[in-house]
Amino acid sequence: MHRKIKWYFLPVLLCVVAYPQILLSQDGLWAHIPAGIYEVGEKSSIQNPLRKVSVNSFYIATHELTNGEFEKFVQSTGYITEAERYKDALVFEPGLEEFRWITDTTAYWRYPNGITRGSIKNKMNHPVTGISFNDALAYCKWAGVRLPSLEEWEIAATAGTRSKYFRKVTKRNIGRYANIWNGNSHLKPDHSDGFLYTAPVASFKPNSLGLYDVLGNVFEFCSGSLPRDNGRKVAHARGGSWWCSANACSFFNTKDIGSVNPHASFSNQGFRVVKSMF
Amino acid sequence: MKPALLSMLIFCVVSTSSYSQMDAYRAFRAQISVPPYGLSKIKALITKIKPQSDEDNSDMGISPLSEKDYDALSLREKFTYTMIHPEMYAQNCAVFVPQSDESQKIFGYLISWMNEETWSNRQLLFLAQNRDSVMAIIKESVTRSKRMGVNYKDAVVEINGWEMIPFLISYYKDNKKDKDILTTLMLLMKKGRYPDFITSKSYKNLYGVADNYESSMTFNKANEVLTLQRAQAYYDSKKRDAQKN
Repeated sequence: MHRKIKWYFLPVLLCVVAYPQILLSQDGLWAHIPAGIYEVGEKSSIQNPLRKVSVNSFYIATHELTNGEFEKFVQSTGYITEAERYKDALVFEPGLEEFRWITDTTAYWRYPNGITRGSIKNKMNHPVTGISFNDALAYCKWAGVRLPSLEEWEIAATAGTRSKYFRKVTKRNIGRYANIWNGNSHLKPDHSDGFLYTAPVASFKPNSLGLYDVLGNVFEFCSGSLPRDNGRKVAHARGGSWWCSANACSFFNTKDIGSVNPHASFSNQGFRVVKSMF
Repeated sequence: MKPALLSMLIFCVVSTSSYSQMDAYRAFRAQISVPPYGLSKIKALITKIKPQSDEDNSDMGISPLSEKDYDALSLREKFTYTMIHPEMYAQNCAVFVPQSDESQKIFGYLISWMNEETWSNRQLLFLAQNRDSVMAIIKESVTRSKRMGVNYKDAVVEINGWEMIPFLISYYKDNKKDKDILTTLMLLMKKGRYPDFITSKSYKNLYGVADNYESSMTFNKANEVLTLQRAQAYYDSKKRDAQKN
């Protein structure tokens, strides 16, 4: 009797788990995720365990926020980023040991790796970096958008797959699908995919929802907290970045969740935005 | 129905208990040693530099001591400051996600203990430039407290303190729960490019291409003995080389 009831309900249970469908806005800049119950997390994970979550309908930007878009915000409001105020942005240059970064008092979003390493002058279509989580929130407030929650980001990034990556992508071939660090270490520069630092948004193939760069290019800030925060104010970003390599953090996937101080500005941190309705 | 409920209850109790054990071991791995040298003075200085928001009095991130205050510290006070106040932000992915059965694994790397912070260049320079003193202070502090926090292990690796290998082995024999000592020994052998280690299967599994900072090998008697023997042999070879020069 019990077994009969279990089998009877199985197809019904499967139907309840929703899968995002491709529905892009007319300008192709937003993907629509319908309301529903989605599966997120992974079986072996303690911090992001396999579970079903219910979300309302939302629209997520198909690309990471660019320097050009952030410039409009700054020009309109006169906003001064935390890196400009505190002169504590963290930059990278090849030759550093794993996980080592340098504080550069000249670095901020217009010079993400410091003045000596170049400006964004010809990179207005690259993702904005050198900004903190708090700067991202300030942009969102001005633009009438918000950051995706940790779950919303994952639903959009996985695009209905259960894999750590998205369709056709594996840990071995990911270099063809995402701007990551392909070198064995960070001691030597890695130009193998054409980009040492960020790439213009949408330079690599999108996932099946039409979202570009969910893996690699820049870490994307999300809203939400984790048990490991222990009540502290911690920012979380996902998806890996141009700095991430297979034998360092391997964070270029849809399951891992990073942690960073909300005031910290790194040249591999950016964001993409979400809005609840048009 | 009753047996089903009972099984569920047993499952919940066992899961909660094993989760608590895992949590406890992770907490043990993340514990730091707090040096006693000028501790109250250093804590007071840190409180003074902690910036607060004007709006809601919330935490505004981290701040380093001013050059003046930092330079005025004695060597031992600088050591205490470094061990309890990493003064630079760490990047988003410099986290070590908790894994299942950590107590049954020997990890390739020590876990990140500094929350979202890390040592600044000034602090790294301090450790490197005072290498002998740092090793002596760590030995003294560990001998007294009978505990070696992850920050001390990190410092030993940072300064490539191979001379501490016999001390680490001896400490491990008295504190077998602390498997991160085995990790520390392997990191020292890795740093020293010890041929017998870097050509080994363990090295390939833990530090080879496409293995990341979360990699581990099973903790068992064979791996434990092998790691200790290799570390001792590495120390002996370094000692011989040092004597020749």
